[in-house]
Order: sequence, then C-alpha cells, then structure tokens
Amino acid sequence: MSLRVAAQAVFRREITLFARRRSDWANPLMFFLIVTSIFPFAVGSESERLRLIGIGVLFVGALLAAMLALPRLFDEDAKDGSLEHLLTSPEPLAVLILARVAAISLALALPLALATPAFALFYALPSEVASILALTVVLAVPTLILIGAIASALLVAARGGAILTAVLVLPLTIPTLIFGAGAALKVLSGESPAAELALQAAYFLFALALCPLAAAAALRISTD
Amino acid sequence: MARTEQQSNDRFNGKWFWRYASPAAFYPVAGTIEKLCWFLAISLTIVGLYIGFFRAPTDATQGEVYRVIYIHVPAAWMAMVIYLAMAFWCAIGLAFGTRLSFMMSHALAPTGAIMAAISLWTGALWGRPTWGTYWVWDARLTSTLILFFLYVGYIALAAAFDDKKKGDRASALIALIGAVNVPIIYFSVQWWNTLHQGASVRPGGSSMATIMLTAMMIMAFAFWAYCIAVAMNRLRTQIIERERSAAWIQSSVRK
Repeated sequence: MSLRVAAQAVFRREITLFARRRSDWANPLMFFLIVTSIFPFAVGSESERLRLIGIGVLFVGALLAAMLALPRLFDEDAKDGSLEHLLTSPEPLAVLILARVAAISLALALPLALATPAFALFYALPSEVASILALTVVLAVPTLILIGAIASALLVAARGGAILTAVLVLPLTIPTLIFGAGAALKVLSGESPAAELALQAAYFLFALALCPLAAAAALRISTD
Repeated sequence: MARTEQQSNDRFNGKWFWRYASPAAFYPVAGTIEKLCWFLAISLTIVGLYIGFFRAPTDATQGEVYRVIYIHVPAAWMAMVIYLAMAFWCAIGLAFGTRLSFMMSHALAPTGAIMAAISLWTGALWGRPTWGTYWVWDARLTSTLILFFLYVGYIALAAAFDDKKKGDRASALIALIGAVNVPIIYFSVQWWNTLHQGASVRPGGSSMATIMLTAMMIMAFAFWAYCIAVAMNRLRTQIIERERSAAWIQSSVRK
C-alpha cells in the first residue's frame, strides 16, 4: 500500500514539475521542430526525395529531442539533495525510478508524438504513415528514457555527462529505431506494419522489465 | 552491496584461485603470461603470415585481395571474444568486489576496441576491390561498428570518474548491459538488413582450401596470444599505477 503511495507521489511530483516549468517539455518540442525543418535545406525540396528521408529524419529527431531531457532525470535532484530522499526511502528504488520514468515519458512522448504527424507534412508523408509514425514515437521515447535512466544514473557522479549520455544511450536504441522506422516504411510501401510494431513493443517491454533494476543499481553505484 | 576482497578471501579460504585475485599475487604471474604470449604471438604470426602470403594459392574468384582475411577474420573474432571476456570480468568484479577483475576488464577494453577498428578497416580495404565499395550496411559490418561504439562507451565512462572505484563499477554495469543487448542488436540489424537490401556477397561462402584455413587458424591463435600479451602488459601497468602506495610495489617493482 505504502509503495503505491510513494510511487504515486514521485509520479505526481514529476508531472507537477513539468506542468510548472513548461520549458522542460516545450524545449525538446522546439528542438524537434527545428531539427526536422532544417533537413530540407541540406537535401533539397523535391517531395519525392523528402518522402524517402522523412521517416528517418522524424524518428531520429524525436529520439534526439527526448534525449535532451535525460540530464533532467537525476542531475537536478542530485544537486538539490532530493535524490538522497529517493535513495533513503524504504521502498524499492527500482519502483520509484519506474514511476519517475513513467512521468517523464508521458510528459515527453505525448507532445513529441502529437507533433510528429504535423511535422510529417514537411516531408509530404501520407497521413496513414504519419499516424503510424506517431505510434512508434510513443513506443520509442519511453524505451529511450528507460535506457537513458541507467546512463544518467551512472553519470550523476561523472564528468562531462551530456555527451557521454549520447555515446552510451544511442547504440542501445538501435533496435527500437530499426523497428519503429521499419513499421512506418512498411506502411509507406502499402504493407502491414504488424511484425515491426510487435518487435518494437517487445524491445520496449524488455527495457521496461530490466532498466529500472539496472538504473537502481547504477544510482547506488554512483552515489555510494 | 559488493563484498570486499578481504571478505571474499575469508569466505573462500583455501581455494587457490582466490589467492590470484590479489594484485600483488597476480602481478608476477601476469608477467610470465605476458612473456609467453609475446613469444607465441610473434612466432605464430611469422608462421601464419608466411603460409598465408607465400604458400597459400591465389583465390580463384577474388585474386590476391582475399589474403586480408589472415588479419581481418582473427581481428573480428577477437573483437567479439574480448567483449565477452570483458563482460565476464565485470560480472565477477561486481559480484565479488575483486578489484583485479575490474583492472582486467579495463586492460581488455582498448585492445577490443582496436580489434573492432582493425576488422572494420581491413574489411573496408577488402570491400573496395571485391564489392566495389568501402562500406555496405551489411549486418556483420554494422554490428561490428556498434560493438566498437560499446567499447568506446565503456572506455569513456570508466575515464569520466575521478573516483576510480566508482568508475570501475559504473563501467562494469554498462559493459553488462551492452553484453545483454549485443544479441538483440545483432538480430535486429540482421532483420533491418534483409529489409533494405538484397544479400551481399558472402566471403568464404564456398568451402576454403585447407591451406588457407590452416594459415587463418594459425593467425587466429597469434591474435589470441597478442591480445593476451597486451592485456597483461596493460594490467601490470594498471596494478603499478593503482597500488603504487602499497609496500610490495615499493619493494618489488622499484628496483
């Protein structure tokens, strides 16, 4: 019972922080908009060409935007001391981390996914491709945050965190990238995306099962 | 929480291998292994390259270019094997708190990264005349590239901590997570590869001549010996660096 109360409190705290500091979710969204809109300047504006690269650009753009929020996961709390409260709590740390990851995923994945179909217009993508892309972004962002939780937990005590986060996290997001963008490509060529979506969901569930435990271990290591 | 080395020693008292979990006890052993492996590496390389370059015939389809396999294939194998060895020592280190295990994986990581880089580089040099391009997004090339990234991440993370012990355990955790993910990444890359392009030319798809295989296996053993020798050298350097204040270093090393 009290575990539920604690997890809910962590979740509610994060959501409240996001609601009060809108830049935390608005900045990644702006980043996403700017990144997706500068690509045509580099590759040209023919809609045939844009349609070919659009899926990849949107998907990678959404992932990079979500990655901007990763330092937020534990860094600020380590600075102001509230991380200690999380660590000294009698409740299992992994569950509390999961609650926090859930809140951050919600606050980031929803705006990014909602923006994806709109930004897909830049790339002349058909609406059914745009909507499946939004769905895969909904799956990919929490996967990235889950993996990123491990990295940012480790980097709380390290130097030069931001760049290292990218080095550690991005290689591990390749499966979700392959399956997520693959699903959208399948729809673009008129096939069923079911297999890719199932595999992407499987990778998400795999991360969901293991990452909170690993992040808890990581946090114990770095704050030891 | 990880046990200390002392506690592990007490608990497993009498087992000979725990004695060698102590840097002081393993330091001279590492020196012997290093010397032996240097000898093996040099002599096997001479024999292997001699057979490979002067005795093995020219390949019927690929011409002389195929001879890069005597470097390329062993390097690619070592890149994979070393990652496994590294993850193994990381797991041991996290489980038993033996600091030598962490030093061992730190000693292995740069060699593993170099092996991955060599296999990618020689693969590109082979690909140019054979496939007509330096790089294709083939499943094996791509996963070797990702393996290289995992090595780089491990090395960078270990270097990012001022507190060495923290860096040890943090990078060990990342190595283990990488090890869990390697098969997933490999299979997803394979899946992606079949989606995007047809099967590329597979080297060695046809059966290899025995003499070519012999030379390659000798070179594989030479690479094993080289990697162990370099890792032992790096391990000894790390031991000296980290244990520099210990009395046994003062008396035995500084002569």
